[in-house]
Amino acid sequence: MISRLTIRRLVLVSTITTLVSLGLMVMGIVFPKPILLVLAMSLGQLFGTLSLALYLLAIVLDLQGVGEHEDLRPHIGLGGEGGGEPK
Amino acid sequence: MVSRAAVYEIHSIEQLLKLTALVASVISILILLWYLVRRPPLGRLTKVMLLFGLGVMPLGVALTGNIAGFEYTLKRPFCGSCHVMLPYTEDAADPASNSLAAIHSRNHAFGEESCYNCHADYQLFGAMTTKVNGLKHLFYYITEYANTGPYGEGGKPIHMYKSFSNGMCTRCHSTTAPSWLAREDHAGMLDDIRKGDAKCIDCHSGEKIHPRAFAHGGSGRPPVAAAAQAGQKEAHE
Repeated sequence: MISRLTIRRLVLVSTITTLVSLGLMVMGIVFPKPILLVLAMSLGQLFGTLSLALYLLAIVLDLQGVGEHEDLRPHIGLGGEGGGEPK
Repeated sequence: MVSRAAVYEIHSIEQLLKLTALVASVISILILLWYLVRRPPLGRLTKVMLLFGLGVMPLGVALTGNIAGFEYTLKRPFCGSCHVMLPYTEDAADPASNSLAAIHSRNHAFGEESCYNCHADYQLFGAMTTKVNGLKHLFYYITEYANTGPYGEGGKPIHMYKSFSNGMCTRCHSTTAPSWLAREDHAGMLDDIRKGDAKCIDCHSGEKIHPRAFAHGGSGRPPVAAAAQAGQKEAHE
């Protein structure tokens, strides 16, 4: 079952994957050795594309109102602040 | 106020692209770290910030980084970053060398991109096939040439995938130029050269182009008197 927690996890994975992707691309720019350039242009961009797709998926799910009822939880003493993740 | 000199001066489009990519990546990393540390609720502002951090800025990094990367792959120092290419690239960059590679490299039309200008495929998809061959080079380098001594002397002699075509030379050395036709041997073989039946490299052979290359009988090492003499002889002819 997709919940708000899933959406937040998608964003978290997307964020970390983007950092890896940026790391690879920056390495290719700062140290332009053949292997690093190939990694930057292949794995770096694959991770970057994947992370953007994950983020867009998270946004689509969020806009569809997935797990919206969970926003009530903080108000009934079951969740954290901001209507975020259930514990 | 004390004026400061610029620490980083931009001299080329490649440097500008690299700087743009680095600035975009720093902005993106800062946004992502902000999200990871603060973990704010996914409100509108957070979504827009993340769209920049996860989408817009990384796309900018990829685009400018790719162009800068491709530009750098055209340059001789990139070719020389695999040690087996040092006999070729060091000679080409040597101002005292009279090999054809060095003479061409001193020409501004070739300059730092002399390797690419003479060896890239010259067709509609020439740049693409050249880059695919570059990937093959990398594979062979890792699997066969990685530990072969400072100049690659422990590996098999390097050969081109296919014979060097006359088209690579006649792109610049037009077969209609009076100075080119003034050479008797050129004029005598004009039809054969144009058809490709006579190869430019049959006369201007490998040891005159890359004298230090193992495949052409060289030692790989820096300037050898015999190679320089052979180069000078070629230049006088």
